[in-house]
Amino acid sequence: MSARERWLRKQERSARLAAFLAARSSRNKSLSDKICRYLVNRATAVKPEDDFMRDPLIDNDMGFDPDELDRFQRGE
Amino acid sequence: MPAANPLDPQQVVDAKYEERKLRPGVTMKRTICGSCDIACSVVSEVKNGRVVRVRSSDNPIFRDNICMKGIIAPKGLANPNRIMHPMKRVGERGSGKWEQVSWEEAFADIGTRLKTIIAEHGPEAWAVSTSQWNTGTDHGLGRRIMNHIGSPNWTSGVALCAGNTAAINRFTYGWFPIGDFQNTKCIVLMGHNPRRHSWTPMYTWIKQAQARGAKLIVTDPRRSSSAERADIWLPLKVGSDAAMMFGWLKVIIDEELYDKDFVKQWTIGFDELKKRVDEYPLERVGKLTGCDPEMIAKAARMYATEGPSIIPWTPITDMQRNSTSAIRLQSILRAICGYVDVPGGELLQGFNPDVVNESAIEMHHVLSDEQKAKQLGSDEHPAFTYRGQERFRGPTKKVWGQEYANLIMGCHMTPPSSLFRAMAGDGPYPVKAFFFLGNNPIMSYANMKLIIKAIMNQDLVVAHEQFMTPSAQLADYVLPADSWLERPWLMDSFGWTSTVRTSEKSMEPPGECRSTFEFWKLLAGALDQPEIVPWETLEDFYDYRLENLGMSWEEFVAETDVHFKAPEFRKYLKTGFATPSGKVELKSSALEELGFDPLPYFREDPPTDPEYPLMLFTGVREDGFFQTGHRHIEEMRERHPEPLMFVSPGTAREFKLDEDEWVEVENELAKISIKVAIKDAMPDGLIRIPHGWWKPEMEQGAGHLSGALKYADAQLCRDDEDYLDREQGIPHIKGVPCRINKVPQDRVKVVTVAEAGYAE
Repeated sequence: MSARERWLRKQERSARLAAFLAARSSRNKSLSDKICRYLVNRATAVKPEDDFMRDPLIDNDMGFDPDELDRFQRGE
Repeated sequence: MPAANPLDPQQVVDAKYEERKLRPGVTMKRTICGSCDIACSVVSEVKNGRVVRVRSSDNPIFRDNICMKGIIAPKGLANPNRIMHPMKRVGERGSGKWEQVSWEEAFADIGTRLKTIIAEHGPEAWAVSTSQWNTGTDHGLGRRIMNHIGSPNWTSGVALCAGNTAAINRFTYGWFPIGDFQNTKCIVLMGHNPRRHSWTPMYTWIKQAQARGAKLIVTDPRRSSSAERADIWLPLKVGSDAAMMFGWLKVIIDEELYDKDFVKQWTIGFDELKKRVDEYPLERVGKLTGCDPEMIAKAARMYATEGPSIIPWTPITDMQRNSTSAIRLQSILRAICGYVDVPGGELLQGFNPDVVNESAIEMHHVLSDEQKAKQLGSDEHPAFTYRGQERFRGPTKKVWGQEYANLIMGCHMTPPSSLFRAMAGDGPYPVKAFFFLGNNPIMSYANMKLIIKAIMNQDLVVAHEQFMTPSAQLADYVLPADSWLERPWLMDSFGWTSTVRTSEKSMEPPGECRSTFEFWKLLAGALDQPEIVPWETLEDFYDYRLENLGMSWEEFVAETDVHFKAPEFRKYLKTGFATPSGKVELKSSALEELGFDPLPYFREDPPTDPEYPLMLFTGVREDGFFQTGHRHIEEMRERHPEPLMFVSPGTAREFKLDEDEWVEVENELAKISIKVAIKDAMPDGLIRIPHGWWKPEMEQGAGHLSGALKYADAQLCRDDEDYLDREQGIPHIKGVPCRINKVPQDRVKVVTVAEAGYAE
């Protein structure tokens, strides 16, 4: 087996494991699912100082008041 | 409402990683945002039967997949100008005179009139323009009805945005790949510029990959934000992407940087390709692209040696006269460098076998060969028509399990310009009924004047819409559409990936708004063929689609928000590729049989008229809008109050343009009004026109169309042969000659949202 083939197979195993973890993490029901979510969460979280997705518009959004939306929809 | 001032940054960061507890009286639904076509998995919070907030998902694999268009959705969809009831035209077409009718009354009349048109002109006289991406719950049912009735004339915005890419990718390796951002080591962005609030997940993946050490190469005439953080930025001449890729191939082949084993075992046509590539020495490519040959070589080496690399889908090469060649060259680069279907490369995933896919629902096999042959445009520009994709039926069955794979809905389409010419009376046969759903056709394709003429020439025009768009203003019926907050959705990525995601219904649709599923079900009944759509409800239909899993829709939603198929990788080792030869076709046998050059090529710009000394490109989305939508949302309009033409400081000086000055941009087809914005990031001689501008607050109806006749970029988009891709018939909108006309500023009357009393 060539070095490239070995490398590819290793990468494929690793990618399959990642897909498995993502699937279990998404289900998030059993204890093992929740462990998977914990692992995925840790693997994907970034340090606050490096978090390029920080955005005041999104992070500070508190949504709407339902009555305000009702009035708006009625054109009041 | 978004808060006016940021909170303490540390508090915000801390809050993001805590379990988000629901507020009193609030329930939570896991949904898929439909504010644009990215389909981010998000959460909607519901109170008193209303969605009051949209936030990012708690599932870490969807972390932060949300943008400004998503969080504003509860208000945007509560807009008082939303269409709430079916409306029937009572005056002249475009007069703006409507009467409210019931859905049943509407479909009784629509069915009768459509049957009359079909009886007189044949089923091919009925055309549809839509996209499942926009409507959500179409799920191929529109095509299913058309196939049973006998019409092949379905078109879509995906004809020049991803759908055509999918169809053209099949010519090389039989499927449409998705880049493996999570494992890649080098990303190439061809003119694409994902940002925090536009193509958000892609932006996240690219930034994450860069943080891991992956390289980023950007080819873009503009110094975009992606270009600014790239390892290599090639500021190529607009529309010269295919020439650039020839340069890369020249370096990769000459320096033997390609995967020789893969090329030897799994490709055909390498020697012919090499000969074609030899026609593009770097000096020539440098002249065609305007880039330094050394930098071109450096980028090519980086792509070939830093890999596995990916060239993610880009809309830029979907919209050029060399689109087919450019997309093929991307495919060829992926293949010869050994990046196809390997981790970190370009994955060929196939359909998810657990769910009945939309291609199967469409039932293309019931449309007769005789009717398929009538598909407009399939003689001149067949690449993504039935005729062009015919050669993949057998191989696709062998490799992917079914004959028809309508990837991204783009593999059995009618080229839009061919359709609109026929609708306008200049085709091989009449087209007299036109339906559009979640689509604003007069502004979504090239040559708006032709499309208006085409619609005005119809006997029956039906729109299914949330708002009174310029196109809907010309309809006979405007039927109120639901939104992504108001219905469930089973999202299967249209074959691009094998993941399946779920979206829960968060609230009841307002007024009489109904889903696209209900629209098609009513139409099947009105055409006396209710058996074509036999499911009573959307949930029943989803139960049917999930039968292989042994789960109902309700159970499936409770189980997960994303269902994966285990990745296979290098499936071709067992099955070959879904091409006529079973191999990667560097020289395409299918294109050759269709009478086209089987190898990629580059068509240079036609001679330009000195009257039009500048070049424009369009098709660009602004962060607050999706395509022609969202213009009614006050918060988004505050961010983008007017259409802005981006121009370089040098060009502004040359043409004596001032910041914020209103000008006209004119070419052979039309002129539009637009404001000047001087940007350092723009190259001299090139101007950027934003896509899809109209103003809902302006006068409606024919002759006005809510400002579309004043601002819409589609008026400047040409569809003559010099400006169409030969194989696909899609327009070239990345480099169209134009000029800027100065206009007296005192004649410019700007009507603001507030002045018009709209949505106040």
